[in-house]
Amino acid sequence: MEGILAGVFALMDRLLPFAFAEAGFMKRALLALLLTAPASAAMGVPLVQHRMAFFSDAIGHSAFTGVALGVLLGVSPSWTMAAFGVLVAVAIVLVKGRTDLSTDTVVGVFFSTVVALGIAVISREKGLTRNLQAFLYGDPLAVTDAELAGMALLLLLVAAYLSLLYNRILLLGIDEGFARTKGVPVRAVEISFAVAVALVVTAAIRTVGILLVTALLVIPAASARNVARGAASALWVSVGIALFSGVAGIVASWYLDTATGATVVLAAAGCFALTALLRVARPRG
Amino acid sequence: MTEEGHLHTLSIRNLTVRKGGVEILSGVDADIRCGEVTALVGPNGAGKTTLLQAILGQVPYTGQIRFCRAREHGQGEPRIGYVPQRLSLDRDAPLTVLDFFALSAQRRPVFLGPSRKAREAARKSLEQAGVGHLLRRPLGRLSGGELQRVLFALALRDEPDILLLDEPVSGVDVAGEELFCDFLSQVQRNSLFSLLLVSHDLSVVTRHADQVICLNRRIVCQGATTEVLTPENLAAMYGSDAHLFRHTPADGHGHLHEPGE
Repeated sequence: MEGILAGVFALMDRLLPFAFAEAGFMKRALLALLLTAPASAAMGVPLVQHRMAFFSDAIGHSAFTGVALGVLLGVSPSWTMAAFGVLVAVAIVLVKGRTDLSTDTVVGVFFSTVVALGIAVISREKGLTRNLQAFLYGDPLAVTDAELAGMALLLLLVAAYLSLLYNRILLLGIDEGFARTKGVPVRAVEISFAVAVALVVTAAIRTVGILLVTALLVIPAASARNVARGAASALWVSVGIALFSGVAGIVASWYLDTATGATVVLAAAGCFALTALLRVARPRG
Repeated sequence: MTEEGHLHTLSIRNLTVRKGGVEILSGVDADIRCGEVTALVGPNGAGKTTLLQAILGQVPYTGQIRFCRAREHGQGEPRIGYVPQRLSLDRDAPLTVLDFFALSAQRRPVFLGPSRKAREAARKSLEQAGVGHLLRRPLGRLSGGELQRVLFALALRDEPDILLLDEPVSGVDVAGEELFCDFLSQVQRNSLFSLLLVSHDLSVVTRHADQVICLNRRIVCQGATTEVLTPENLAAMYGSDAHLFRHTPADGHGHLHEPGE
């Protein structure tokens, strides 16, 4: 594990002979973004199609409770955050399937509940507030080796998951009844997608923070929509924009001395503005 | 197993569907036969969509839905094609018509591009439907009539045993209805599948359906179109105070006007 990481860092030294990439923590941050941003952007394409931006925001905010639980139990908050995020994701899907309430109402109820629960726990344990800061705004500069390994594993899992189920996820996003007649196991796909989103969101929180994590999924996919016509270009443009924003954001944050996560999101927002202009300039038929 | 002259029959016996303690459908008996166009008519809330969902296996029901087929028609589970009333696509959806066809035709994820086989099948069935030029167009940018043709082409590609059409001509212009006629005659020519058509439009039903099922939570009446669509039966189904207009079929309008519509 450490050997692999040392090799990667040596490679980065050779490829990026710049001042910003000299420090070990900067390499770590860059690596964290190069691993989480493409996974988030790839999941973002079907997420936007399914109109689940609010869902992803709710999962992000469940990290308040997830982190608090980790500190209370004496486990690394990264793992409890992921576990609790998955729990909330599955709960939302199950409740949504058993009620006539609209999806955004169900998500709204869970959103408020998990934030309230998190704040209640944190306010009881005075020492927790400091811990939370890193999760609120993201802190890619403090990513540990174990977390990097987890992010790499997650990227592979997301690639495998999307390779297997992408067509069925898109069919489900077009029309549920139609997808069923095409043999899509609707409930299973729905739950697996929610779980995958939860894992990606909670991993990306380490880099851009609870407040901005949805941006990492939604903005690259939304930008891709501005310029892509087909399903293939939509995914690759989204991933490309995420990689560019990750690198551009981290470099800019080094020179401007700004928060890394926020700068990355601003770079992505810049890409959105640019693609929106391109779209206006070249209206599609 | 099947009646004479029909390769297969979808037979529905004593079908009852309950949702939240309310009986949406009760004791429905019907036969939908191969090579025929069966129209399902009834007022809003009559349970037409629920019946489709039951056939698609999407809602729990009691009773029986059985697919009986002649030996020469092959074996196994029936393939059910479904053309939804509308797709909730945004105009921006990054999905071409070819992508849309590929989604249900290949294992390879569409972000790696459509397979050769999926592309050829899509091209062939789109050309049959007279819309080969739409292959690379974004799905969300098609007009209502174009989308309808694409959906029909996709339904035919998969060679269904039973094809369910939910309001196929709602929101479509005169040209769209003509297309629908072509489509039906094509269906009847190869006559290898049965077609169940949900429609509000009585002119469409009288012109194209062989059989009619009048539904209002239970079967009001069913049989050959000419025998079933009588003023008495329509009044029984839609209520006697409903204003029923049936213009002559020649003027192309035969809509039912319900109170408050």
